[in-house]
Amino acid sequence: MSLESLMLELAEFGAIILGTFVVAKIFSLVVRSVFRNWVPTVRSHIQKLVSVAVWVVGLVFAFQQLGVRLDFLLLILGLIGLGVLIAVKDTLANVGAKYFSDVYVPFKVGDIIKVAGSTGKVIEINPITTVLLTKKEELVSVPNSIFLREKLRNITPHVWREILVPITIDSKIDLPEFESEVLRACNKIRKYLDERFPPVLTVKSRNQKSVSLILTLMVKDPDKKSEIVEEINKKIFEIEHRMVQASQRK
Amino acid sequence: MNEISLCVSSQTPLVRFLTDYDEIMKKRGLKGESLDISNFVEGEDYTFTAGGVTRMVFPLLKQMVSEGLLKDPHWVSLNSLAPETLTVDSITLKHVRIERERLSGYGQAKEVLWKAMHGIQKGPVNSLFWQEEFVDYTYYNRVCSEVITKLDEKNDFDLFYIHDFQQLPLGQMLHTLKPKIFRWHIPFDESLIPENWRQSLASYFNEYDLVIVSCKKYLESLKKFGYSGEAHYIYPYLDLSAYEKPRPEEVESFNKKFGLDRGDRVLLVVARMDPMKGQDRAIAAFAEVVKEYPNLKLVLVGNGSFSSSKQGLGLSKAERWLSELKELVRSLDLESRVVFAGHLTHAELQAAYERCELTILPSILEGFGLVVIESWLYKKPTIVSANAGISELIKYGENGLLFDPNDPPDLAEKISLLLSDQNLSLSLGENGYRASSQCSLAEGVKAEFGLMRELVGFEEPLGAVK
Repeated sequence: MSLESLMLELAEFGAIILGTFVVAKIFSLVVRSVFRNWVPTVRSHIQKLVSVAVWVVGLVFAFQQLGVRLDFLLLILGLIGLGVLIAVKDTLANVGAKYFSDVYVPFKVGDIIKVAGSTGKVIEINPITTVLLTKKEELVSVPNSIFLREKLRNITPHVWREILVPITIDSKIDLPEFESEVLRACNKIRKYLDERFPPVLTVKSRNQKSVSLILTLMVKDPDKKSEIVEEINKKIFEIEHRMVQASQRK
Repeated sequence: MNEISLCVSSQTPLVRFLTDYDEIMKKRGLKGESLDISNFVEGEDYTFTAGGVTRMVFPLLKQMVSEGLLKDPHWVSLNSLAPETLTVDSITLKHVRIERERLSGYGQAKEVLWKAMHGIQKGPVNSLFWQEEFVDYTYYNRVCSEVITKLDEKNDFDLFYIHDFQQLPLGQMLHTLKPKIFRWHIPFDESLIPENWRQSLASYFNEYDLVIVSCKKYLESLKKFGYSGEAHYIYPYLDLSAYEKPRPEEVESFNKKFGLDRGDRVLLVVARMDPMKGQDRAIAAFAEVVKEYPNLKLVLVGNGSFSSSKQGLGLSKAERWLSELKELVRSLDLESRVVFAGHLTHAELQAAYERCELTILPSILEGFGLVVIESWLYKKPTIVSANAGISELIKYGENGLLFDPNDPPDLAEKISLLLSDQNLSLSLGENGYRASSQCSLAEGVKAEFGLMRELVGFEEPLGAVK
């Protein structure tokens, strides 16, 4: 192979990688827009998933450009994937359950729950298990997959009133301003909320890129919970979108 | 020995700039956002803010630094008209700036909360949570929380010490596992707290590792309220050495400034201009007593708080109350007998205490009442509202007299008693002077540092606290 054709192949490889980067970004924005009313955590996971998928396809094409055989590449990827799946089958079930329970199972650290014959205060939720502290000061480890199979009872007082909305925002967003906008959005649906409790925004974690928050609302009527969550998520998406654009303009 | 790295936060700033801050900077030829107080002139450019919080916290920090108990303390407070960073005696003041519109909303919201804690809020307090003012109140606290978080990234504090009811939400906002102390400075009477506010108020308290109140009865009330976390009471304290006997010419100058004759018998009230301070009660009682003692004068010292000042929140509460009091004085035909002295310098305040015959703390409700300690330092007898925190240090007839602030004739009777019984007055003053040591800075440092050290898990420093 001449130096010229090698340079050409490398240039094509680079162009595909660049193209993949652009396509992944576009797909990510499209997903963000399409799923704007969804729970932010789920939306962000879907964005990541789509992005990874685009990168896998892009990389396969890029390497094919360098002369690596496509069928061979796919076979290797498939075998690795199968091996990993078999090796961590049980763990994956728990991790997957954790992912869903994060969003859809109604308990959090600090709540008192009854599940699979155990009752206790939730003191830890890790990717594999949820740890309960019983009245007898025993630790009970409950595999996360149990929560998708078995009936769970959350017996924390007034827990039915509580709505927890997970939010992740770009760290460039001015948090005090964002909070003000969120409070204003909550004020607009106050007739559905228990007026004794103001909406509370709590920082759960932060790094250079993002800030994870939880918005706690107390509802008057449990029947309205899902509608309130949908409405608030929609508002939060709009606020975040507006503030990101404003910060980019600056 | 371990030194604690401490971050304090209070709404009220330690120093307040007197005129337009930009002009002061120009006049002094200063630039930048990080300056030392020595660049400015006290009395001309700035003044130390009056009020219990700053009068306690500043000496506490200075004393702890000088004893080697604290390392590079930071103090975050609201001060839109000041440099962003100002150092005063090895304490770094970090000033939070808020837009004027936000400031106004914040001021109104915290006023509602203050009234609710004093049992005088008209209408349900929880309706506040759904107003724009509450958005501003939350905004101010979140800005403080962000400033503290950034400071912590740089300084790695051991402990956060949050002061007063305005900043209660900070405990929940600060995302840290490091210990947080909250000091409640205003009265705490759980029976006054509206039912529909109790649960959310309790959830704020529960975010702290330790809560400190100003006296035993507030601690009992806090426990009755349902707060189950660690709580203590520490009597507020003063740097007693800062109070000296004024020179005769200083007293004379005070007399001249406020039109007091040598033969006048002076009653003194030192309190900011606020309806809760009960100056109207003192005037009503004075109107009764003055009939028997024609050479009697009542001197009311104090103006608005930081919240009422133009450099602060610009609330007009103090001005409104002052004009109401002046109207009351006019209606009782006491204009020649009641002196509204306004804000006094420290030297003038010393002269006022020296000049007076007795002092009155007429508050309807009072977090503590450090002015009683000041009065005791000048061996003056004092008549104290039974609703003030300091009332639990008063041994009736031994170091002071108590009265019901809702009963002006009761106060009039007690004023007459002291004016007519010189021996009683002298003994109350002498015994009060001895009692004042309970509220000394040394006692305060000992109690505060003991709790701080326990929270951060440091070993007791040998010989640091006696």
